[in-house]
Amino acid sequence: MDMEGTYRIPASRETVWQALNDPEVLKACIPGCESLEMTSPTEMTAAVTSKIGPVKAKFKGAVTLENINAPESYTIVGEGKGGVAGFAKGSADVSLAEDGSETVLTYTAKAQVGGKLAQLGSRLIDSTAKKMADEFFGKFSETVGGPSSTDDLDAGVVEEAKRIALEDAPSAAVHAVEAVEHAAEEAVHKVEEKVEQAAERGAFGGPMVWGLLALGAVVVILALMS
Amino acid sequence: MGVDGIGARVLRKEDKRFITGKGRYTDDMTAQGMGYAAFVRSPHAHARVKSIDSSAALDMPGVDAVLTGEQLVGDGIGNLICGWMIHSKDGSPMNMGAWRALEPEIVRHVGQAVAVVIADTQAQARDAADAVVVDYEELDAVVDPVAAMEAGAPQLHPEAPNNLIYDWEIGDETATNAAFDNAAHVTRMEIYNNRLVPNPMEPRAALAIYDSAEEHHTLYTTSQNPHVARLVLSAFYAIAPEHKLRVIAPDVGGGFGSKIYIYPEEMVCLWASKKVDRPVKWVSDRTEAFLTDAHGRDHRSVAEMALDANNNITGLRVKTVANLGAYMSLFSSSVPTYLYATLLSGQYNIPAIHANVKAVYTNTVPVDAYRGAGRPEATYLVERMMETAAREVGMSPADFRRKNFITQFPHQTPVIMCYDAGDYSATLDAAMNAIDYSGFAARKAEAASRGKLRGIGMSCYIEACGIAPSAAVGSLGAGVGLWESAEVRVNPVGTIEVLTGSHSHGQGHETTFAQLITERFGIGNDQVSIVHGDTDKVQFGMGTYGSRSGAVGMSAIVKALDKVEAKAKKIAAHLMEASEGDITIEGGELKVAGTDKKLTFTEVALAAYTAHNLPAGMEPGLKEGAFYDPTNFTFPAGTYICEVEVDPETGKTEIINFVAADDFGKVINPMIVEGQVHGGLTQGIGQALLENAAYDETGQLLTASYMDYCMPRADDLPAEFKLSTHETLCPGNPLGMKGCGEAGAIGSPPAVINAITDAIGSNALSMPATPEKVWQLCRAGMQQAAE
Repeated sequence: MDMEGTYRIPASRETVWQALNDPEVLKACIPGCESLEMTSPTEMTAAVTSKIGPVKAKFKGAVTLENINAPESYTIVGEGKGGVAGFAKGSADVSLAEDGSETVLTYTAKAQVGGKLAQLGSRLIDSTAKKMADEFFGKFSETVGGPSSTDDLDAGVVEEAKRIALEDAPSAAVHAVEAVEHAAEEAVHKVEEKVEQAAERGAFGGPMVWGLLALGAVVVILALMS
Repeated sequence: MGVDGIGARVLRKEDKRFITGKGRYTDDMTAQGMGYAAFVRSPHAHARVKSIDSSAALDMPGVDAVLTGEQLVGDGIGNLICGWMIHSKDGSPMNMGAWRALEPEIVRHVGQAVAVVIADTQAQARDAADAVVVDYEELDAVVDPVAAMEAGAPQLHPEAPNNLIYDWEIGDETATNAAFDNAAHVTRMEIYNNRLVPNPMEPRAALAIYDSAEEHHTLYTTSQNPHVARLVLSAFYAIAPEHKLRVIAPDVGGGFGSKIYIYPEEMVCLWASKKVDRPVKWVSDRTEAFLTDAHGRDHRSVAEMALDANNNITGLRVKTVANLGAYMSLFSSSVPTYLYATLLSGQYNIPAIHANVKAVYTNTVPVDAYRGAGRPEATYLVERMMETAAREVGMSPADFRRKNFITQFPHQTPVIMCYDAGDYSATLDAAMNAIDYSGFAARKAEAASRGKLRGIGMSCYIEACGIAPSAAVGSLGAGVGLWESAEVRVNPVGTIEVLTGSHSHGQGHETTFAQLITERFGIGNDQVSIVHGDTDKVQFGMGTYGSRSGAVGMSAIVKALDKVEAKAKKIAAHLMEASEGDITIEGGELKVAGTDKKLTFTEVALAAYTAHNLPAGMEPGLKEGAFYDPTNFTFPAGTYICEVEVDPETGKTEIINFVAADDFGKVINPMIVEGQVHGGLTQGIGQALLENAAYDETGQLLTASYMDYCMPRADDLPAEFKLSTHETLCPGNPLGMKGCGEAGAIGSPPAVINAITDAIGSNALSMPATPEKVWQLCRAGMQQAAE
């Protein structure tokens, strides 16, 4: 399984680099991380509880930093053993580029799982891993530089919100009287505006969050009117 | 025919207990002080076991012991064996690697057991198994059998260089090549037969009880052949001598071949029960079954068929790579050789055949016989080739087959088998009539008006059942004879117990076997009980697989019945002062022909046991045994036709019609035969449309539960299977039976795939024909048409 992603972090490259090498920051940002200790400048051990599909397990893992090119890039290699749940291992090439006062973090990661994780959760691993990566880098950006945005946030948020609003609101409105339909359309416009404003502010959250928010708002408005 | 005799639709006697929850399966058995076993299994497909730390597990509540492979080997427990020797074409014996019930050094597939925990409860055992820490050093794994043979591939066993188990051949290569040199047309295909997981309803289970005073073991287990299990456990694994080991296979919920073999877990329970001196039970969970039950099929073949200018088949050339997984299971070596390549002649006159089979180790679950065992692989290959060749030369698939049918019997094929009887045109005609073949074009046009692609495909299968003549299989490398035994015990009150070496795990033997007695003596089937599955009750038997319980098992009963009948007639003749030749048996009475003199069967039985007035020199009692060794395989054959509709927008295939016209020889109980065919067809349709055991490149089994492994369900099947049987009697056994247990699974996959490829106009379809694959082909076809 291969993943890649880009995050814009409102902090200098040096700050980001320091944080990427700070066990406390990493511990706070890795989803389900219970402990993380530096055993050498390039090695860490960690305990992480993770759930993929029906398999929930505590992974004990070792993390090694390789190809260190401070403050531009490194490779983070990890392997976790989850007992009967199986194992997970992977590596990510992380690079940092300066963009004004901000830093653009890019990663490409490979991951592999085995044992029960593969037997029972293989179809869920891609999405779970991507979700965990998003959680990690989202939290990391927040911790290091305050609220951040992914590069494609604006387009993604707006498209997703529009799609959901346009698909769901009218279909619900078919069953309503025309007056209500008109009101619903107005409501959708309001939601869209709010979403767009939020997107322009570059606030936190991924497309999914905004899509759900928009959908939720439409549902609430329709419920109030009926 | 009596009301409940041969040919009657007698309701299954065993169903009362099954449908009222009164069946007694291995997991229903308990023993005083019983502990539970849970296995510690490798998450890696290939790894060195560096250390096993049991300390945390041993401290957990209820834990009795953690046992490892080192202890097992130390106690002198033998390696698991493959019981059929195959020699490569250069004469060398097959290369068999060591398989230990608990692996102390190198694990070779995900799920292989390295240790076992014995605890007071199943939950405690499983929790403790989670706490056993195994340190593995990962090794590179290989799952593709072709890649496994290449230079530089990871090596599984030192005994098998390049992971090659054998490189075997059958047939006349020179003559076959000559046929191709002179061919007017050659059809060539690459054919993959997908890997399947057997999935009987009841997972494997074992309860091992050791009596230290008697030094005696009892094993309740989910076996299709308890006597073979005892023999192997005793002779090869050194568990205990045969007289100190009783194996009982009580009610068993399906097997499909997967319960023929001796597996590590059952062996370990036997060994552990002595080691910890308490009864030990183990019940597989479903994912353990996916990871340890022998898988089926997994053949990659290249096949070529040579035709002359008149579209007569002149030669067939096949190269097959068979993936046998990480270890050689009990009969694994025979499946891609003598159970497969000997059927490559199909129903056709093919003067020259040559097949080369390479069997290969990979880091996957061992592969062995699964419903059909080799014959589905042969049938799929031959029938896909027949359909494709017919399309290529522009003949109707039916005419092309009919033109090449064998019509004279006996027929010696170029690949060992000698077909004894059959009428292939009869079953082809019956199937074509049943599906209204001539009306297909109109149905196709009507479907097209709805935007659906309708297709029709057939399969004229033949298979070899009733395995098998002991001398024949012995000469081919089998480690055992494949006869069957029976004992008919007439009680003093005239009721009858039939002890059989066959084993029923869904086949309905308690009903069909009783029909033989009803037919013979005219006593009700409620007066008969069938005893099977216990080595302490039945002296010996070879068990149930290869559709052999009718043709071989019932033949043994018939032989024993002949002896009982002869003795009963002697007694009756003596008592009625008549000639033995004048005694007839009818409606439960022995009569003197042409007189009104008669005795009931009960009176004769009682006379045998009181022994007050027996013919001079006759021993008391009325009990006879027999062993029956068949003279040939039997050859069930028939035609299956499948009609499908494909939705080109979604790739979803719907089976609209499915007809089966089978020649099973003599049918004892048509209802049970229909049930067998329904089940077989369903499994075959499952293979064709849905089922696939998928591994990733590192050897992780990605389909290890019903979330990812798709089993056929009612809505995947047509509303009705139209079945018919067309009897040509098998001359090789007294009843003329051929066997019906596997035909459905053997004949149906090519019919389904031939129908879909007919519908979508593309032949490049492999099993399972998932909607995605079919949709891709439809889409490619549309693009091609647009260009």
